[in-house]
Amino acid sequence: MEFEQLLTLRQFSLAQADKEAHLTPLLNGLTAWHRERCPQYARLLDVIYPHYSDGQSQAARLAEVPFLPVGLFKAHRLKSVSEEEVFKTLTSSGTTGQQVSQIVLDRETARRQTAALSRIMTHVLGPDRLPMILVESTSLIQDRRRFNARAAGVLGMANFGRRHFYALDDQMQLDRDGLRAFLDQFGGRPFLIFGFTFMVWQYFYSQLAETGLDLSNGILIHSGGWKKLQELAIDNAEFRRRLAAAFGLTRIYNFYGMVEQVGSIYLEGEDGLLYPPNFADVIIRDPLTFAEQPIGQPGLIQVVSVLPLSYPGHSILTEDLGVVHGIDTSTCGRCGKSFSVIGRVPKAELRGCSDVHAAMVASAPPAAIEARI
Amino acid sequence: MTVQQVVPSFESVSLDAALDRVVASPSLAPFAEEVIGFCSDFSRAIFKDSEAAYYPELQALAFWMRKAELVRLRDAFLEERRAGASLVPQGVAFHIPPANVDTIFVYSWLLSVLAGNRNIVRLSHRVSPQTEILCRLFNAALQSAPALSTSTLMLRYGHEREITEAISARADIRVIWGGDASVNSIRTIRLPPHARELTFPDRYSFAVLRASSYLEASDRRPIAEHFFNDTFWFDQMACSSPRLVFWEGSADRAASASADFLNLLQQHAVRKQYEATPATRMARFTFACAEAMEGGASSYQDFGQFAVLGLDRYDQLTREHCGGGLLFQYRIAALDDLLPFVSRRDQTLTYFGFDRAELAAFADRLNGRGLDRLVPIGQALNFNRFWDGNDLLLSFLRYVYIA
Repeated sequence: MEFEQLLTLRQFSLAQADKEAHLTPLLNGLTAWHRERCPQYARLLDVIYPHYSDGQSQAARLAEVPFLPVGLFKAHRLKSVSEEEVFKTLTSSGTTGQQVSQIVLDRETARRQTAALSRIMTHVLGPDRLPMILVESTSLIQDRRRFNARAAGVLGMANFGRRHFYALDDQMQLDRDGLRAFLDQFGGRPFLIFGFTFMVWQYFYSQLAETGLDLSNGILIHSGGWKKLQELAIDNAEFRRRLAAAFGLTRIYNFYGMVEQVGSIYLEGEDGLLYPPNFADVIIRDPLTFAEQPIGQPGLIQVVSVLPLSYPGHSILTEDLGVVHGIDTSTCGRCGKSFSVIGRVPKAELRGCSDVHAAMVASAPPAAIEARI
Repeated sequence: MTVQQVVPSFESVSLDAALDRVVASPSLAPFAEEVIGFCSDFSRAIFKDSEAAYYPELQALAFWMRKAELVRLRDAFLEERRAGASLVPQGVAFHIPPANVDTIFVYSWLLSVLAGNRNIVRLSHRVSPQTEILCRLFNAALQSAPALSTSTLMLRYGHEREITEAISARADIRVIWGGDASVNSIRTIRLPPHARELTFPDRYSFAVLRASSYLEASDRRPIAEHFFNDTFWFDQMACSSPRLVFWEGSADRAASASADFLNLLQQHAVRKQYEATPATRMARFTFACAEAMEGGASSYQDFGQFAVLGLDRYDQLTREHCGGGLLFQYRIAALDDLLPFVSRRDQTLTYFGFDRAELAAFADRLNGRGLDRLVPIGQALNFNRFWDGNDLLLSFLRYVYIA
């Protein structure tokens, strides 16, 4: 099956064995494709995965497809297209001083990403664009200096709605009057709410929880990770419970995705677990041996996707930890792996040598001495 | 300005008053009885402390500071003095140890105090059990050493430039441990015109093994074990830990020696239950991939606890490194093949199968290109007064010429 067929096929409808049988040859094709077009990728295969260095050998199973560590896209602008074909370069949102990922897109890859995202979203939103509340301020996307992955993510999602209402002002204050007006007009029929998980909690839920607002026709899509909410002891189940209790909001879909594989998002099912779309998958690996973990064992998340043509990012080992809960055992009608994301790999505390100013100079290589007899 | 004082007592103090106290107190004579007595008391207190027993680096420190070792240092000092000059303290020494090596501040302080200096130490906000134990025992030992109590000051502060400026303005010698970035940043802070500075920037270290000697060794296991200690004791982040292994000899001998050695190294790492953290493991894999793409690496072997990148050539090596158990490997036909490779950044060469005469001749031929230490495998991390090309003890002293 080709990419376009995987796309048009009803999403989450392929049983795992079937899916792997379709994805493995497509990913093998991408390994060869990038090998021919990206000299750095070819050198990497030669050294790190020498059994692929003849350009003929292929992965027999999905888990055998060579993967690149996500950190490689920082400091390395890897591309499988000529400079003239570069349509845009995506960068991850990083704090000052941090290196950001650079993802090179050509028109075709960008088109595939948009089409893919649309197929996944319409699975839960239906074919029509819904009136949309964005838990963001307009300044995020107006301020070009701050335009980053977050702004791009918001704009990408905005495509799935109409009559956009940005619920926050520049000071992150909720526009209550605007919200009431929006709900008066659109609250009686399905509408879309989008925001980053922490923003939804902090600037939307927390400010409105006591108002008895009726959002029962809303469909909330949110993403961005649980780190800040974990500090408040709020997990996904609690998040869902609290929003349901406060607003009657029960159609809630979290998703997992990253700038290195835009378009391949992993959307939550009604059971609160994440599901790969037809054209992508996850493999959980032992953090020390990189061997594939059995069901129920947490490990590093590897993401594979058939979307990337312009950069060798079809198989990436992330620094996120996750766990597969079941395969083809979903209670919400979805096939394939159901999984959840646990968090990031804890940062290494460097022993031995370090810089006096390591805290100030993030990129400084550590060095000093230690003594022992 | 108020600062957090840790030694001689744990309390908030006025920075100016604390500095005035140290600067006004008299310097002691080099190797004064009171100092030697204090150091050996401190050493005994570490040995006796039940908490300190958990930390091998504290035991190593106590061993290094025991009476017999101090006497040996004093003898070395007396010999220098007999050579025809008076040796006196520099005055006030300002030590800036690395943020997360817990024992360096004591080594730095020790050589300085033995020379008779008054000492000010900056401790970072990163509080570790090791530092806490050392400061607790230090303050307890100071109870019976009043002269040291007034001439010693340890402060805990972050990156407040004005504090470093105020201390630097009173210093006769400043010692900066740990990295190019900190050396560059602190160097912009002015010292009095006469003051000296010792800096310990980023360094690179490697091992050289003679393949034939390795293969002929009757028991090869200790070689791998010593190498393991050199490399993994601090997750390969110590600047004297080897990051590159040279095999000297023919291609086949080097190949069989390497295979045997890496196998033994892996067995030992498993026995020692060495395990990198997932973050270190990821950093290592990312680094290896980047080297494969852009460096001179031509092969990759993952042994779990560590990984090996084979080089076809060494001229593309940047000397950047991730730590955490990544070894480069390269074959040379003869030791002298290293002459063009060695650079000023290289610090420690750990060796197996070479005799001292060969190494001395090699050092002469290098003639200062690089390398400050040539030590047998197993001694990479052994601290002594000769470090980074300095005699630390003499650096803390001044010569008075008498005709």
